[in-house]
Amino acid sequence: MTEKVKVRIDGEVIAATAGQTILQVARANNKYIPALCYMEGLSAVGACRLCMVEVSGVARLLPACTTPVQEGLAVATSSPQLQSYRKIALELLFAERNHVCAVCVSSGHCELQTLAQDHGITHIRYPYNFPRLSVDTSHPRYVLDHNRCVLCSRCVRTCDEIEGAHVWDIAGRGINSRLVSELKRPWGEATSCTSCGKCVQACPTGAMAEKGFGVEEMTKQRTVVSRLTTMREGQ
Amino acid sequence: MMIQDFAAFSAVREAGLAKLLPSKPRIAVGMGTCGSGNGAEAVYSAFASEIDARGLDVQLVPVGCFGFCAEEPLVNVWVPGHPLLMLHRVQPNHVDDILNGLGLGEGHLPPTEIVLCKIEEWDHLTGHVKYGTGYPDVPNWTEVPFFNGQVKIVLRNCGLINPDDIEEYIAVGGYSALYKVLIDQTPDAVIEQIKASKLRGRGGAGYLTGNKWEFLAKAAGPEKYLVCNADEGDPGAYMNRNEIESDPHSLLEGMLIAGFVTGANKGIVYVRAEYPLAVLRLEHAIEQAREYGVLGDNVLGRGFDFHIETVEGAGAFVCGEETALIASLESESGRPRSRPPFPAQKGVFGKPTNINNVETWYNVAPIVSKGPAWFTETGSAKSAGTKVFSLVGKVHSTGLVEMPLGTPLSKFIYAIGEGGTNGRDIKAVQTGGPSGGCIPVDMFDTPVDYETLAQIGSIMGSGGMVVMDADNCMVDVARYFIEFTHSESCGKCVPCRVGLDKALRMLNGFTLGTATNEDLGALDELCRMVRDTSLCGLGQSAPNPVLTSLRHFRQEFEDHILAKRCRAGVCEDLALSPCENSCPLHMNIPRFLQLYKEERVEDAFLSVILDNPLPASTGRVCQHPCDNRCRRAAIDEPVNMRDVHRLIADEVLLSDKFETMVGRVLERKLKPTGHEVAIIGAGPTGLTCAYYLALFGHSVTVYDSRPAAGGMLRYALPEYRLPKAVLDKEIELIERLGVKFQFNVNVGEAPTLNDVAHQYDAVFMAIGTWKEAWVYLPGTELTGVIPALPFLESVSRDAQVPVGKNVVVIGGGNAAIDSARTARRLGADVTVVYRRERKDMPAIPEEIEAAEHEGTKFIYLAAPHRILGDKNGQVVAIEAVRTKLGEFDTSGRRRPVPTDEVSRIECDTVILAVGEKVDPDFCKASGLKIKEGGTIEVDRYSLETSRERFYAGGDLITGASNVSNAMGIGKKAARNIDKRLMDQERAPSLIPDFEYQMETPETPSECARHVPAEMPAAERVQSYAEVSLGLTPVAALEETSRCLRCDIRSAER
Amino acid sequence: MDKPKIGTCWLDGCSGCHMSLLDMDEGIIAVLARADIVFGPLVDAQEWPEGVDVAVIEGAVSSTDDLKLAQTARARSKVVVALGDCAVTGNVPSMRNGIPTRKLLERVYVEGATARPGVPTDGVPALLKQAEPLHAAIDVDVHVPGCPPKPNAILLVLNELLEGRKPDLGSKLRFG
Repeated sequence: MTEKVKVRIDGEVIAATAGQTILQVARANNKYIPALCYMEGLSAVGACRLCMVEVSGVARLLPACTTPVQEGLAVATSSPQLQSYRKIALELLFAERNHVCAVCVSSGHCELQTLAQDHGITHIRYPYNFPRLSVDTSHPRYVLDHNRCVLCSRCVRTCDEIEGAHVWDIAGRGINSRLVSELKRPWGEATSCTSCGKCVQACPTGAMAEKGFGVEEMTKQRTVVSRLTTMREGQ
Repeated sequence: MMIQDFAAFSAVREAGLAKLLPSKPRIAVGMGTCGSGNGAEAVYSAFASEIDARGLDVQLVPVGCFGFCAEEPLVNVWVPGHPLLMLHRVQPNHVDDILNGLGLGEGHLPPTEIVLCKIEEWDHLTGHVKYGTGYPDVPNWTEVPFFNGQVKIVLRNCGLINPDDIEEYIAVGGYSALYKVLIDQTPDAVIEQIKASKLRGRGGAGYLTGNKWEFLAKAAGPEKYLVCNADEGDPGAYMNRNEIESDPHSLLEGMLIAGFVTGANKGIVYVRAEYPLAVLRLEHAIEQAREYGVLGDNVLGRGFDFHIETVEGAGAFVCGEETALIASLESESGRPRSRPPFPAQKGVFGKPTNINNVETWYNVAPIVSKGPAWFTETGSAKSAGTKVFSLVGKVHSTGLVEMPLGTPLSKFIYAIGEGGTNGRDIKAVQTGGPSGGCIPVDMFDTPVDYETLAQIGSIMGSGGMVVMDADNCMVDVARYFIEFTHSESCGKCVPCRVGLDKALRMLNGFTLGTATNEDLGALDELCRMVRDTSLCGLGQSAPNPVLTSLRHFRQEFEDHILAKRCRAGVCEDLALSPCENSCPLHMNIPRFLQLYKEERVEDAFLSVILDNPLPASTGRVCQHPCDNRCRRAAIDEPVNMRDVHRLIADEVLLSDKFETMVGRVLERKLKPTGHEVAIIGAGPTGLTCAYYLALFGHSVTVYDSRPAAGGMLRYALPEYRLPKAVLDKEIELIERLGVKFQFNVNVGEAPTLNDVAHQYDAVFMAIGTWKEAWVYLPGTELTGVIPALPFLESVSRDAQVPVGKNVVVIGGGNAAIDSARTARRLGADVTVVYRRERKDMPAIPEEIEAAEHEGTKFIYLAAPHRILGDKNGQVVAIEAVRTKLGEFDTSGRRRPVPTDEVSRIECDTVILAVGEKVDPDFCKASGLKIKEGGTIEVDRYSLETSRERFYAGGDLITGASNVSNAMGIGKKAARNIDKRLMDQERAPSLIPDFEYQMETPETPSECARHVPAEMPAAERVQSYAEVSLGLTPVAALEETSRCLRCDIRSAER
Repeated sequence: MDKPKIGTCWLDGCSGCHMSLLDMDEGIIAVLARADIVFGPLVDAQEWPEGVDVAVIEGAVSSTDDLKLAQTARARSKVVVALGDCAVTGNVPSMRNGIPTRKLLERVYVEGATARPGVPTDGVPALLKQAEPLHAAIDVDVHVPGCPPKPNAILLVLNELLEGRKPDLGSKLRFG
C-alpha cells in the first residue's frame, strides 16, 4: 500500500501516499490546518471539527483528520467561511467551561490559547456557561482539572492505544459529558493507572498537569506519543 | 409446521385463508399501542366474554392498527358474503349492539355513529382478498376524507391481519416473494430490480437502497450483517412502531430477501426498548417464522441460512445514526464515528454491514412481487413509491397516512387532515421530526419528496408531520426542538455539544424578550456552523428548525425582542395573561374584572378607560379575540370579558358618575409638553391616538372630512348595534381632555399635507378604508345597485334611502350582515348571496345568527354572475352561478369553483358588500411609500412612514380590519409619537397603582357563562333600538368570579 | 478645540490593569499631551462626566454598583475599551460563578469569619448572581485581553483611538 497520489492543497500540488489523511499530508508539507483532538500517533476521531476543509466537488465540509487523500483531490484550508467557523468552535470551547488563563499552569503553553491567538480572538461572543466543576487531586503525581478540559479525548486514546491501560473514558452525554477514570473512581484510586503520565503530556490544555507547577510553568512533551508510535512501528 | 416444499406452503396458505375469511363472522379489534391506549383491550375482553356468554360462533382476533388514530379504537366486523365493516370509537357498551346485529343482514348494522366505512375488497399487493359487496348506505373506505388518496403499500396488511399469526400473513401472499426469489431468481437480478424501483431509504437520508445492497453484495468476507434500524425516536413519529406491531412478518421477509441477495446470513433488528409491544410481536414473529421454516437454517428448504435477532436500544436518540447504532450493537456507548470507513466496509463487529430503516424493508416484498415498473408508477420521478407520515398536532384528523411521494403538503393537511383543530387557521407544518424544518402555510403547495423538502430547508426524516396553528409560537417551537436535540447530543463533537447548548441559551433569550437584534444574526451564524461542521446527522440537521424559522418566521423573532410580544401567547414572560396578549389594545382584563368583583366600579372604569378610550363601543362591537384565548374555556366557556367592560363603561358614561370620572381621568394627564400633533381622521384609530397624546400632555388637533367624530363607528355601524348616544359620551370625554376637532376639512386638498407638516411636530394619518371595492359584473350601473358603505352611512344620517321590497346583499363580511339587517329594518325581504359556505363567512358569527333570526335568507355557494334590469334601467333580478368547493387555497378554505348551474333571484335592490379599500388618490397624493395593496407603508414597530415624523395607522396601513385592531394601532402610534417627541418611554406612567387582590381563586365560580339578553327578533326588526340588552350588574359580578386569574404567577418562577 | 477626554474605572478587578496603564512610563505623558483624563482612580471627579471620548474599564461586572457604573460610562462615552482579562472574560472574579451568592457570602463572612460573623449589608452593593465580562453588561467596542495587558498594548490602543482608528489587536495579544 504505497500507491503515490498527487493532491492539491491551497493550490499547491503535493505528492502523497494513498491512505494518508488530508491532515497528515498537510502537516508533512508545512501546510497549517488547525486541530485540537488530532495527535500524531493516535487514531483520529474527528471530534473538535477545527480541521474542517473544503474539498472541491464535495458540497459538504470534510474533517481533514479522517478524510483519506485520493488522486486529484483539491483542498482549500482557510476560506473566510472556514476561518469564521473555526473561530466559533474555539469560542464555544472557551464558553463551555472555566478557562481562567490567569491561574493556569499551562498558560503560555496551551494549545487552546494559542489557537485563540492564531484566530484573532479578543473576546467570546457567547454567554459563558460557568459550570461548577471539580478538580481531581487524588493522584499523587498528577492533577485533573475539569474546568480546563475540552473533551478532545487525546488522553483517552493515549492510555488505550499507547499504554494499553484504558483508564480514561468519556461518561455522560452532550454538554454534561465528563472525562472519567475507571468507573468514575478518583484518579488516585484507579488501579489500572500505571502513572506513566503520557496522558498528561498529550493533554492540550492545563486540564491535566503534573503537581508542583505554578502558573505558566507546566510545559508538555507533545512528541512523546508520536515518538513511541514511530519507534514501535519501526520494530 | 416446517415448510420445505411448495405443497406445504400452499397448505399453510389455505389454512390462513380459512382464518382470514372463515365461514363464520369475524371480529377484529385494532390492538396496537394506540388502540390499547384508547381502550381497545376493554373492548376486546367485552367481546370475548359476551361471545362466550351467548355461545356465539364468532371468530375474535386482535389485529394491528389501520392508522386512523383520532378514531381509535377501531374494530372490523366481517360477516361472510358481506364487506368488511370498519367501526370507530368503539366502546365496551357498543358490544351488545354489534353482536345483536351480526348475521341479521343489511338492516341490522351497528349504530351509525360508530360505523366508519366498509371495505369490499383489499389489495394486499402480494395477494388479494374479496370480502363481499353490500351495505349501500355505508361509505366505501376511500370515501372517508382521511383515507381518500392514501396508497397502502407499506401498510398493506396493517389492521387487517392478525400480527401474531404467520398463517394469516402467508394467506395474503406473505413470504411468496421470498419463495419466488429463492426458487427462480439470482441475487444480481433482484438487486437490479430494487435499483430499477428507485427505492430510497425511508429513514430520512434517502440513499438508493439498491446501491447500498450492491455495496454489501460486493463486499468481501463470509460474515456480513443486515441491520434493521427500528430505533424510532422522533417525538410525534410512530410509524415504525405501528408497522412492527401490525405486520412484523413483512419486515422479516424484506430482510430475508436482502440476506439472500447480498450474501448476509445474520440480521439484527435494533428496536427501541420503549416499544414493548413491538418487541413482543416481533420476537413472536421470529419464533413462528423459525417454526414454519421461513427463518433459520435451510429457509423454505432452499438451502439458504438466515438468522434474525432483536437488540433493544437503550433510549439514546443518536443511536438512530448508523455508526452510533453500530457502536451500541457492539456494547460501546452510542456515539457516532467518522466515515470513512463506511458500514458496508466495516460495520457491526468490523464486518460489512447494511442498515435500512423499518419502512424500507416493508417495500421489498411488494417490489419483488409486482416488479419495479409497478413501484415507480407511484410517487414522483426521483422519489418513487409511498411514505408513511404521522400527521399530528393542530390538525382535525390525526393518524398514520401513507401517501405517494410528491403529494403536496396542502393535500395532507386540508384534505386528509381536514384542516385545523376546531376549524382554526393553520400557520405551519414541521416535517421530519426534531431535525426538520418549519414550512409556512404559503408554501403548502410544496410537493413532499426528498429533494424539494431539502431545498426549502427541511427534511423528509422519518416522516413526522407536526401541524401548528396561531397558538404555536415559532420561536418556542424552535427552542423546543433545540432543547430536544441538545439533550440528545452525544457530546463528542464541539459544534453539536456546545453549539446547540449556546443556541438553546440564545433562544431562551428570545422567549424571555431579552435578546437583541444582533443575537438574530449571531444565532443564524451559529446554527449554520453547527449544521456545516457537526460530525453526524444529528448535529448536521438539528439547526434546521431554527434556520427555517428564522427564514420563514423572522417577524416572530423580531416581535419577541423589538416589541416584546409573543402573538401566540406561548412565551409567558412576554404577556400578562392570554386575554391581555390577544387584546389588540392589550387591556389589563384581569384587573378590571377583579376591581369590579371588589365592587369598585369607579376604579374598574378608570382601569378600563386608561386601557381603552372607547370601552362602551368596543364592548358592543369588538370581535373579542380574548374569548378564543381564555383558559376558562378548558372548564366550560370563556369569561364574557367584553360584556363586562361594556357594563362598566355604561355604568359610568350613562350616569351621574360621568363628571367625577372625567375629573379622575384628567388627574392622570401629564403636564403640557408644548408639542403639537395633528391627527387626520376621527375614526376609532385617530380618536385613540388623540386620547393618549392628550394624556401625554401634547396639544392635539383632529381633522375629519365628515361633520362629526367616530368614523365607521358612527357612519357604518347601525344604531341597533351601537347607539350613537353611547359613542357621543366617549367622544365628549376625549374632548374634555383637550383634544380639538376640525370637521368638514379634507386634509390633502386644503390644507395639504405639507401645510400640516409645517404646523405640527408630528402627524398621524388614519383615514380608514372608505372606498368600496367594486366587483366587475354586468349590471352594476343599474338603478337600485348600491354599495354597502354609502347605504349604511345614509341610514345613519337619517337620509332618504332608495331601498325596494326585495333586497339582495352580496358578500359575507360584517358590512354585508349590517346591510342586510338594516334593510330588514327598512321593511324589505332580504337575501344574502355568498360564494363560499357559512363557516367561511368573515362576519362575526353572532351577527349572522341574529340576521337569520330576523328573517334574512342566505344562499351559500353562489357567485353573482350578472344583474338584470328592465328597459328603464331598474334592477329586476340577479343571476347567480352555483359554485362547488374545489381545491384548498392557502387560507385553508376550499376555493369556490363555478358550475354550469345558474339561478335567478328576483329583486329590486342589490347591495354590494364585497369589501372596502383605502382611497388610492389620498395615498398617491401623499407622496409616501405605498405597499402593493395600496396601503401606506410604515415601519412595523414605530409606525413611521417613509416621511419623517409622519405616522400612519388603522385600516390605512392594514386594509379593512376591525375596530379593536385599528384602536390598538392608534394606541401604539401614540406611544411611539410620544417616545419620539420626549425621548423616553412614558406610557406606564399613565396608569396609577391600582391595589387589588392578587390571589388565584381556589374555587372559581362554577357559574356558566353569562350572555346578555336580546330583544326578541320580531320586535327588534321594527326599530333601530339596540338589540343586545347588556349584562345585568348581578350577572356581570358573577362573570368576574369566573376568571381564573392567569395574570398571577407563582413566586418561584 | 478641547482635547479628547479619557475616563478610566475599575470594577471587580485587582487594579493590575491600572498599574499596567501607569507602567507606560513616559508613554503616559505623550497620551496626556493629547488627551485629558477626566475620570479614574487618580482623578477627583465623583461622577462619570458627560462627553467622554474613550472609556477604559478594568474588571468584571460583579455587583450592582459595577453594573451601574458600567452603564453610566457606556451612556456617556463614545468608545468603551474592556481592559484586561477580568473585563474581557470574567477571569478570576468569575471563578465564584458556580456557587450561589448566598452560600458564597456565608462561607466567607460567617463560616470564615474570626470575629463578628455576619454577611455585611450596609454600605456595600449587592453581589450580582454571577460576575460577568463587561460585554455581557454593556456594548464594548475594543477588547484588550491580558492579565494584565502589556503597557505598550494599552499605549497602542489609546494612540489608535485618539487617532480615530479602531485598533486591530487580533493576533498581537495573547488571549487569556
